Amino acid sequence: MNSGTQNAVAGFPALKEEGGLKAPGLGKPLIFVGSVLVVLVCLFPFWWMALSSIKTLRELYTIPPIWWPESPTLGNYYKVLFESNIPRYFLNSVVISVGSTGLALVLAIFASYGFARFDFKGKPLLQACVLIGQLLPTAAIIVPLFVTLRVLGLVNTYWGLILVYMIITLPLSVWMLTSYFKAIPVELEEAAIIDGASRLGVLFRVTLPLSIPGIVAVIVYAFVTTWNEFIFALCFATDSSVKTLPIGLAEFSTEFNTDWGAVMAASVIMTLPIALLFLSMQRLFVGGLTAGATKG
Amino acid sequence: MYRPSTGLLFVLPALIVLAMLIAYPVAYTGLLSVTDGQGNFVGMSNFAKVLSARATPQAFWNTVYWVVGSIVFQVILGTATAVLLNQTFAGRAIVRSITLIPWVVPGIVAATTWAWMFHTEFGIINYMLTGPGIIDQPIGWLTNRDTVMPVLIAINVWKLFPFVAIMVLAGLQSIPNDLYEAARVDGANFWEEVRYVMLPQVRPVIVAVTLLLVIWGLNSITIIYAITRGGPANRTLITPIQIFRIAFENVQFNQAAALSVMFFAVAIAIVFVYIKALASQPREAR
Amino acid sequence: MTKPLLILATTASALAFSSVVSLAGEVTWWTPNFNEPRARELVEKFQAANPDITVNLEITTSDGLPQRVLTALQSGAAPDIIDVQHGWVNGYAQNGLVIPLDDVLQDREDYIPAALDYVTWDGKLWGIPYRIETHAVIYNRGHFTEVGLDPDSPPETWAELVDVATKLTKEGRSGFAITGGGEVGNTIFRSLPFIWMNGSSMISDDMTKATVNEPAAVEAVTFYTDFFRKGLSPASTLENDGTANRRLFIAETVSMYQSGQFDIASIREENPDIDIGVMRIPHPEGKDTAAILGGWSFVVPSDAQNPDEAKIFLQFLAEAESQGTLTDTFPARKSAMELPRFNDPILQVFKEMLPYGRPVPAEKNWVQISQAYFNGIQSILLGDMEPQEAMDVAAEEIQALLDE
Repeated sequence: MNSGTQNAVAGFPALKEEGGLKAPGLGKPLIFVGSVLVVLVCLFPFWWMALSSIKTLRELYTIPPIWWPESPTLGNYYKVLFESNIPRYFLNSVVISVGSTGLALVLAIFASYGFARFDFKGKPLLQACVLIGQLLPTAAIIVPLFVTLRVLGLVNTYWGLILVYMIITLPLSVWMLTSYFKAIPVELEEAAIIDGASRLGVLFRVTLPLSIPGIVAVIVYAFVTTWNEFIFALCFATDSSVKTLPIGLAEFSTEFNTDWGAVMAASVIMTLPIALLFLSMQRLFVGGLTAGATKG
Repeated sequence: MYRPSTGLLFVLPALIVLAMLIAYPVAYTGLLSVTDGQGNFVGMSNFAKVLSARATPQAFWNTVYWVVGSIVFQVILGTATAVLLNQTFAGRAIVRSITLIPWVVPGIVAATTWAWMFHTEFGIINYMLTGPGIIDQPIGWLTNRDTVMPVLIAINVWKLFPFVAIMVLAGLQSIPNDLYEAARVDGANFWEEVRYVMLPQVRPVIVAVTLLLVIWGLNSITIIYAITRGGPANRTLITPIQIFRIAFENVQFNQAAALSVMFFAVAIAIVFVYIKALASQPREAR
Repeated sequence: MTKPLLILATTASALAFSSVVSLAGEVTWWTPNFNEPRARELVEKFQAANPDITVNLEITTSDGLPQRVLTALQSGAAPDIIDVQHGWVNGYAQNGLVIPLDDVLQDREDYIPAALDYVTWDGKLWGIPYRIETHAVIYNRGHFTEVGLDPDSPPETWAELVDVATKLTKEGRSGFAITGGGEVGNTIFRSLPFIWMNGSSMISDDMTKATVNEPAAVEAVTFYTDFFRKGLSPASTLENDGTANRRLFIAETVSMYQSGQFDIASIREENPDIDIGVMRIPHPEGKDTAAILGGWSFVVPSDAQNPDEAKIFLQFLAEAESQGTLTDTFPARKSAMELPRFNDPILQVFKEMLPYGRPVPAEKNWVQISQAYFNGIQSILLGDMEPQEAMDVAAEEIQALLDE
C-alpha cells in the first residue's frame, strides 16, 4: 500500500519535469472506469474463492448461492496451516521456484543478449531450437523426462524439479528478454564500447540496468509458472520432502470428494504472497529505461 | 564490428542445458511414433491410425478456434490494460498488483472456480443474471453447444491477459521520454500518442508475446481439461488434450507419440516462419 | 520397460539403477490419500510380524493418479505395489507393465467372482482385488412423503421409476438426476447397467461386434437420456458428474440419483436434515437389475525392485481381515464382509446390489470405446441426434476399434 502511493507520487512529477510539456494522459473518468472494470474482472473469481474459504461446508453449495456466509469461519485456514502438509510444501515451492527462476534468469540473460546483439550463422534455427521444449506436448515428454531425471539421479530432489522447470521457463524467458534487449538503442552500448568497456561490462553496466522492467517481468513469469505447475511435480516428486503446493491442493481431494473449503483456503495462501511480492516489486517497474539513461 | 562467434558464446550455455534435458525426450518420442508397444518397427501405421480417428480433424479445428480466439482477445485486452496502467493515477500500484491475480491463481483452481461460477444451477453468474431479470431462464453456459467454447476462451483470456498487460507495460516503461516529447511538440493528443509512439515502440514486445501465447495456447490443457474434459461430444477437444487422452487414458503411447510428432511439426513450422518473418525486421541489430 | 526405451537407455542404465536401487527386503507401496490412516495401521501390523521386510508407504493423490502410475510404469522406475482401480489393470497387463499374481492369490472361492474376472486377462490374474462396490439409487425420503409417495416402497421397475420421477419433479426440483459430464466413467457407470439389464451390451461377448445400436441397447439409452430430455433431470445434466449430482441432492434440488455408499457420509455431514433412502437400481419389468462393479486392486509392476518381498506383503494385504480394514467401501472377500464395519443398515441395499455387479469388458481399446459411446450420449443430451442415430455413429466407431 505504502510503496504504491509513493510510486504514484514519485512517478508523476518526474514525468512532468523531464517532459516540460504537459502529458496528454487519459481523462480521469476514463481511467477510473477502466481501473474499476479491470479490478472487478480480475478480482471477482478470486473474491469468490476467498469467500468460499470462510464458508462452512453447508454454505458452499447452495441454490441459490449465498453472497456472504452467516457465520464466517477460519476453520479451513486452521486446517490448512496446522493439520496439513501445506506449510512444508510452501517451503519446497519457494526453494524450487526461486532456484529455477534464478538459474533460468542467468542463462536467459546471456542467451538473450547473444540473440539480440549479434548476428551469427544459423541464428533463426537456434532461436527455434530454444523453443523446442515448449512445443512438445506435455503428455509426450513426461515419460522420457522422467527417465532422463532417473539417469541423472534427480528423481525426488529439488534439483530435479528445478531443472525440469527450466525447460518450461527458459525458452520463453530467452524469447522475452531478447525482445527487451532489442528495444534498447544500440547507440548507448556503442558509446560505452568506445569508452573501452568490455562486452560483459556493457551487458552488466549498460544493458541490464536499462532492462529492469523486462527482467522483472521475466522473473514474475518464471516464478508464477513454476509456482503453479502440477503435472511434472506430481510425477517427479513423490516424497513429501519435495512435493510442491499444487500437489498439496490435490491432497484435499479424495476419490469421490473434495474438501473445497480447504482447497480455497490453500489457494488463497498460495496466491496472496505472490501478489504481495509483486506489489513490493512495483518500484523496480517504474523508471526503467528513462531513469537509467539519464543517470548514465 | 563484433566477431560472429561471440554471440554464439553467449547463447551456448542455455542451449547446452536445454539440449541435455530435451534431446532424449525428442528422440524418444520420435522413436515411439514408429514402433509398437513391443518396440517393433511399424512404419507409419501409428500415424495412419491416429489420422483416421474421428476426433482428430475435429480436435484440429477446435485447436485453431481456441488458439486464435484466445490470442486475439488476450493481446487486445492486455495491451489496452497496459496502456491504462501506464497512466499516472492514485492507487495505480494496487491496480497493477490486482491485475496480476488471475495469472497467479493456480490454473486448476481458477478453472474449477469458474466452472462452479458458470454452473447452470449453483452458478453465481446465472444467479446474478436471473435475479434482476436480465435473463429469465438460467443459461447452460458449459452445456450449450454455442456457448461452451466462447466461455472457455473467455476464461483463458481472463487467465492470461494480465501476462500480456505486464509484459507490454514493461515495454511501455522503457520508451524514452524524448519520443513522447517530440510527439507533444507536434501537438499529439493521447490517442495519437498511443498510435504513433506507444504501439510502434512496444511492437517487438507484442510480437514476442504473441508467439508465446501461440505456444501456450497450443499446449494449454489445464482449463479445458478441468472444466469439460473436451466435451460435450468433443466440442471442446483440442489436440493436446487428445494426445493426453491417448497416452494416459488409452495407454497407447505409440499413437500419442505419432500425434505429438505431427503436432510438433506443425508447431515448429509456425514458429520458424514467425521467426524468419521477424528476422527481416528493420530493428534487428547487426 | 518397453523396447525403444531400452535401446536408448542402455548406456546409461547401469548408472540409473544404481541411483534408485532399493535394498533387498524393502517394499515400496503406493496407496491413495484416502487410504492413508488405514494403510499405516496395516503396515505397522505387518512390520511387527515381519521385521526383515521394510515397507515404505508412499501416499498418492486421486487427482492425476492414472498419469502418475503410468509414468512410473512406463519409465521403469516403479514401486513394488500400487493400488489402482480394477478397470486400469487390464490396460497395464496388455502392455506388459505388471506381472501375473496367480501365485499370490489364496482362497480363490472366497472372492466375489466378478472382482477376479475384472483383473483376469489371457487366463492369468494381474491384480489382487481388495475393494469392491456398486451403485444403487439414493433418494430423499422426505420428498417422497411430500408428494404422497410411500418412501418404504421405492420404485422397482423402469416404468415405476419414470412415474415416481415425474411426480417428484416440480418447481425447481428434479426427480431423477443422471450424469452427462465429467469423466467418461461417471456416465458409463450410470448408463451401461441399464443396457445390461435390458439384455444387451456395448460390444458382443466375444468382443468382435459393436452391439450398442441394437434395439435393446438403444431402448436403454433412450430410457436413460429421456430423464433429461423430459425434464426429470436437472438442466445442468451435461456438466454434472457424480459429485455434482450429490451436491444437488444435498441442496435438495434432486430427489433421486445413482451413486455408491461413499456418498452417504458426505450427505449426512453436509445436510443432516435429509432422511436418506437407498433402493436397488430399477430394472425392466420381469428382468434383473445390474450394476458395474467398481473398486480397487493391488498390482506389482514388471519393474518392481523386490517382487518377491512384495508378494509376501501382498499375501498379508489380501487376508480377509486386512481387506476389511483397508477398504473404503466393501472388501472383495466374502468372509471379510462379516466384519461389524459392514453391518450399518444403510449399507444393506448396497450389499444386495453386489451380486448383480459385473466387470466392464476386458477389451484393449475399452477406454476409447467408452469415449465413443459417451460422445453419443452427449450428442443426444445436446439435442444434436436421436438415440438411434447417435448409437449408430458410436457403433461404427466402436466397430473400427474392435477390428484393429
